[in-house]
Amino acid sequence: MGFVKQHREPASALAEASTERRSFEVLAGELQHADPTVRRWAARDLTDCPEASKALVDRLQREEDNSVREVILSTLTTHGDDIAVGGLVECLRSENVSLRNEAIEAMKQLPKEVAPIMQGLLDDEDSDVRIFAVNVLESLRHPEVESWLIAVIEKDPELNVCATAVDLLGEVGTSAARGPLGRLKARYSGEPYIQFAADVALKRLGGD
Amino acid sequence: MKRILIVDDAATVRMYHRNILEAAGYTVEEAVNGIEAIEKSLHQPFDLYVVDINMPKLDGYGFLRELRALDIPQAPAIMVSTEADSSDQVRAYAAGANAYHIKPVKPGQLLTQVKLLVGAAR
Repeated sequence: MGFVKQHREPASALAEASTERRSFEVLAGELQHADPTVRRWAARDLTDCPEASKALVDRLQREEDNSVREVILSTLTTHGDDIAVGGLVECLRSENVSLRNEAIEAMKQLPKEVAPIMQGLLDDEDSDVRIFAVNVLESLRHPEVESWLIAVIEKDPELNVCATAVDLLGEVGTSAARGPLGRLKARYSGEPYIQFAADVALKRLGGD
Repeated sequence: MKRILIVDDAATVRMYHRNILEAAGYTVEEAVNGIEAIEKSLHQPFDLYVVDINMPKLDGYGFLRELRALDIPQAPAIMVSTEADSSDQVRAYAAGANAYHIKPVKPGQLLTQVKLLVGAAR
């Protein structure tokens, strides 16, 4: 077979080869480009533009290319400003399961920025958002994680929010969680999964 | 003996479903996301899948779509999720689910559904 020279789209080649710093306006325009490679490089280069969060958040909601979404989320995580965090929170309300999960993973990387809004997320009227907020706590390195989880199992009216929090309490909880777990078992005495999950958590926490 | 694959990222949920199904005589294996479930399905056939929706890497919908496109013996799938919207159920069936249950599933409810789809363990 003869050697076939690979053809590359001019825009892609330009974007891949570009090393010079481009302005925010140029990059924001390229974020809308038809070629995912161009969008991916624009999202990466917007790391140097602190004013880019809104453009990135807007694109994130409708970006269908996984690799571009990944870079947008990485850049938003680097910015970590209020607009970036707000955009990630909006993703928790998306019907797109992949986008939701990616936003959860990104939020885990922002403990300082997410902590001030965590109570609001745990009090959200949408129980799905409350479940995703508990998912964020899974590897959010923050000293309040256990007390947030205990408050969830003491107060949240939705069984599945409590169930998600119980799973996590078994991993990150201390003896302070034992009483609340016992009270949760009493509250949901007819619910086999809560009995099972709370017993697993209590066993992991040790003691009687 | 009937073999069931539980696909869920929550370890406690996997353990809970495993206990119920093993007590009834089924052989159970686990996968933590859709990608691992696809790999296991390519390696060996299962008689039934119990699948969560919200999982990292490849969610339940994506897993079922990929599974149904594979040229392997197909098995029924029960989707279990915290999401109670009818639109989620429609998406689950469109992706290839045979049944949909809202978490947490009670032991009797799970076993009844499993027996309906694949019969008793032996």
